[in-house]
Amino acid sequence: MKNTYILIALLFLSFSAFSQLDRSKKPEAAPAKEIKIGDYQKFELKNGLKVIVVENKKIPRVAFSLILDRDPLVEGDKVGYLSMVGQLMRSGTTNRTKSQLDEEVDFIGASLSASSSSIFGSSLTKHQNKLLDLMTDVLYNPSFPEDELDKIKKQTVSGLKSNQDDPNAISGNVRSRLLYGSNHPYGEIQLEEHVENISVQDIKDYYKTYFKPNIAYLAIVGDITVKDAKKIAKARFGKWERGDVPTVKYDQPSAPEKNIVALVNRSNSVQTVLNVNYPIDLKPGSPESIQARVMNQVLGGGSASRLFLNIRGDKGFTYGAYSSISSDELVGNFNASASVRTEVTDSSTVEFLYEMGRIGSEDVEEGELQQAKNVIIGGFGRSLERPQTIASFAISQERYNLDENYYNNYVKNIQAVTSQEVKEIANTYIKPENAFIVAVGKTSEFADKMAQFGEVKHYDIYGNEVDPSLAKLPEGLTAESVLNKYLDAVGGKENLAKLNSVKMNMEASMMGQTMQMEASKMAPNKSVMEVKMGGNVMQKIVFDGNKGKASGMAGTKMIEGDDALDLALTSSIFEEAVYLEKEMEIRLAGVETIEGNDAYGVEVISPSGKSVTRYYDSESGFLVRVTNTVDGPQGAMTLSTDFSDYVEYDGYFFPTKLKQPMNAQMKMDISVTEVIINAELPADLFKIE
Amino acid sequence: MKKAIVLILSITALTSFGQERRIEFEEYKLSNGLHVILHRDNSTPIVAVSSAYHVGSKDEEVGKTGFAHFFEHVASRKSTNIPVGGFTEYVSDAGGSRNATTNFDRTYYYELLPSNQLELGLWLESERMFNMVVDTGVVETEREVVKEERRLRNDNQPYGTLIEEILVRSFTKHHYRWPVIGSMADLDNATVADFEAFKNKFYVPNNAVLSIAGDIEIEETKRLVELYFGEFAKGPEIKRESVMEPQQKMEVVDTVYDNVQLPALVMAYHIPAIGTDDYYAMNMLNLILANGQSSRMNKKLVDETQLAVFAGAFDLASEDPGISLAFGVANAGISLVELGDAMQSEIDRMKNEIVPEKEFQKVLNQIENNFISGNASIAGIAGSLANYYLIRGNTNLINTELEKFLAVTPQDVQNAAKKYLKDSNRVTLHWLPKPQ
Repeated sequence: MKNTYILIALLFLSFSAFSQLDRSKKPEAAPAKEIKIGDYQKFELKNGLKVIVVENKKIPRVAFSLILDRDPLVEGDKVGYLSMVGQLMRSGTTNRTKSQLDEEVDFIGASLSASSSSIFGSSLTKHQNKLLDLMTDVLYNPSFPEDELDKIKKQTVSGLKSNQDDPNAISGNVRSRLLYGSNHPYGEIQLEEHVENISVQDIKDYYKTYFKPNIAYLAIVGDITVKDAKKIAKARFGKWERGDVPTVKYDQPSAPEKNIVALVNRSNSVQTVLNVNYPIDLKPGSPESIQARVMNQVLGGGSASRLFLNIRGDKGFTYGAYSSISSDELVGNFNASASVRTEVTDSSTVEFLYEMGRIGSEDVEEGELQQAKNVIIGGFGRSLERPQTIASFAISQERYNLDENYYNNYVKNIQAVTSQEVKEIANTYIKPENAFIVAVGKTSEFADKMAQFGEVKHYDIYGNEVDPSLAKLPEGLTAESVLNKYLDAVGGKENLAKLNSVKMNMEASMMGQTMQMEASKMAPNKSVMEVKMGGNVMQKIVFDGNKGKASGMAGTKMIEGDDALDLALTSSIFEEAVYLEKEMEIRLAGVETIEGNDAYGVEVISPSGKSVTRYYDSESGFLVRVTNTVDGPQGAMTLSTDFSDYVEYDGYFFPTKLKQPMNAQMKMDISVTEVIINAELPADLFKIE
Repeated sequence: MKKAIVLILSITALTSFGQERRIEFEEYKLSNGLHVILHRDNSTPIVAVSSAYHVGSKDEEVGKTGFAHFFEHVASRKSTNIPVGGFTEYVSDAGGSRNATTNFDRTYYYELLPSNQLELGLWLESERMFNMVVDTGVVETEREVVKEERRLRNDNQPYGTLIEEILVRSFTKHHYRWPVIGSMADLDNATVADFEAFKNKFYVPNNAVLSIAGDIEIEETKRLVELYFGEFAKGPEIKRESVMEPQQKMEVVDTVYDNVQLPALVMAYHIPAIGTDDYYAMNMLNLILANGQSSRMNKKLVDETQLAVFAGAFDLASEDPGISLAFGVANAGISLVELGDAMQSEIDRMKNEIVPEKEFQKVLNQIENNFISGNASIAGIAGSLANYYLIRGNTNLINTELEKFLAVTPQDVQNAAKKYLKDSNRVTLHWLPKPQ
């Protein structure tokens, strides 16, 4: 009888094997297997150390994780010292130098690392005793060698230098400053000057205060029996002495009242690192945190979520777009992010804000909701393959006072989240109108297009607000380099030195009448300028190298004193060469868009103390504008002369179109009709009688 | 006498090595040539379904660089029975995860699923293998995504183009001379017709391996594999044009300027293909140089002299003869001349001195640890099984490769150092901050 059943079963099996497969349908899942969370054992030593043991014999390895549960700390003018604690502890004990520790750890193929709130060691089971010797030596007997701290500090400085080029590191800095403020443990940014302030004593003090068993968890995970683990815990960690550990409270950071667009210039970027983010108050293990987890999965938790499907799948703007919502005892955050092509920075922002708005206004369809839940539950199930997961569950349960069945009920609670709850939780936590929109990239390409999202502010790579026109200057640019580029562009310094004289003929029309102008300059600094209208000389200015004279319809005036000093400079054929030669006071003054191109401003203080800003095209290097401030009837006003249409004359470049202001409202168009290089000029041309 | 003790010690070490947990597997071929590998582990209800194709960037034509990887993207989008995006959507809907990778020699796709979704994985992989659809829509979207990936990983990252700058100088003929990601211009030029031709040539069952690991029952899985893959025909035999790289005669020295703060020095030496005796010796040599904080380069360059913030040595593990790289990133204020001298003296030591027994044993212990830890997840096991079969022709190396390392002697390492770590056999690249 039994055999018959088997036979029928076999027949059935072989039949199905030959039956035509319907490929057009996605296969049905077999009945789901129950997700079982592996067992663990928990006990506490007399000194308060809580021990968690997870036995897993799959591979012959064992891991020991010691974790301190302390409040986050503000580091003040020593930002980064906490990150050195573990490294210094691992850099030598009273029994072993760093090199001996390294040698012994490597010899058993183990890993041993420490941080300010943990020590982690793992090895093949057969080496566990040796590993524990080394791990407890680091825990109990760190020697804090001064020279090792110096090395760590040096490496830290080098690391900070590398970070200056890393757009993600820059974005991380700026975001933490904006979201949490500089007086919050999550908002501090490490600077080079902080590194110098850190001393061995700081690290020793920290160690003595915080490395205490009564705030610690020890997770023992892997190929080990509970019995052995208990023995090890008692023998190796039982005599560790408890102590009082201080606690700290902080103000709660809040999201901005309106969107703020925070731009950081990285002029060599080909992509923009874009983040839409703000702080939130969401506690680990709360019912809201489960709902928020599901909501975020719909929005941007993975590659089947809305942000990814929209911004990568549909638009192809990015390699990946995601969002995250993090719960934290102190302060959590929401963050949506992608690295996008520079030219779609604004379009990507539109999509981020659109999806953030949509999740709070439209109901999520049942199928999409179920898919999001499946992703979370699937990930949860897969994570259980790692025995470390069970240990981290056990620790979180203790740490955040979670319900005893929090993880056992996790799948059930995820399944229970409704479409209505997703919408409500999105309305609480997703704020497309109260976010910091942080973009690190080539800001000159998109700054103006970002104003539609909120107030645009510019920041340096450490999150300090900066003058926007300066923010657009590429790193490394100097006033000198701008001037040198100009001199190269108009002929090159060597050639310019060979220039003895230049004569320019110009024409302009004004109120229906044509004006002719003749300007001649002779090295080093003689000049004459004549304006004629209808054959009459309207104005003539001569400078003989020392003094000047202006004459015209209104009479004659000698130019002396400060004004003569200024005229001596502008009488040079290319006055930029003089700025550099005489080391005059010059500085970069930001970027302006002139004729659709970026132009770098250089402010020059003239010999008489007047300020003039000269703008040079960022690509061609040519002078394109001169701006000066003059006192007018209505107070100070800025007048600009624009130069364009550079043409080559015997190897030298001169602008052939000028726009000269007559007053605040009127400009005169001047065209250059002729330029004569090194002409024989009459000797008395520059003579002043 | 001392030697005898060392010998006994190494024999005991040998017998206790790697014997503890064998990875059991079954392998067979379908009549269409598809190679199937099954590994059963019922401890967690998940399964890894993967397929690997013996095609990588070295199979690309000149002027079509980056194509194998671009293809990997396109091949994960659509089939006759799966709408655009379905590969991703169905997997995540089932609570699984999926991804794919391409390297110089092979392309690998996998899904990690709850084990009751095994059939979904088989359906997706068989659709990819036999019913993939390549059309303009898919190609254009993925073209942008791949170009974005290049910007993200290479063009927008400090040192992000280091490997490709090394490759282009190390190889003159062999297709390893371009990076897997390819060039922007070539990515722009790829056409739908190119995809069709590539698919017909390389995406055939006789060029693939299906590797399944996790919570499965062997017989039932075999039945399902036959059901989903058995109905399709074998593809044409693949003719590969193997390009031999002529031996390098003179050292190549060059400089690249990048947006970095700290200069770096890279020395890349030609080495034999993966799996050869000399390859294992060179692989161990790299571990001696740079694996762990007590390794020579870390200890000397990073720790003691602080000439470097970072030092490393690794090889490309390539199927054809490849390269091995030693590199250092200079500490602030250190010149590449100083760093180069220090790196060179470590390289010279490998040539001039026999590695002491204890140091050699340390590296063997590290290898053992890495070897065992690599099998901690079923995803890792599925990948290793596929790779060992496809590239090395011997699946059981997952259990036995350790022996290959144990067979290497300190003398072998010195011999290999002398043979390959010659100036005339290398490219030296100075990676400098762009002048401002």
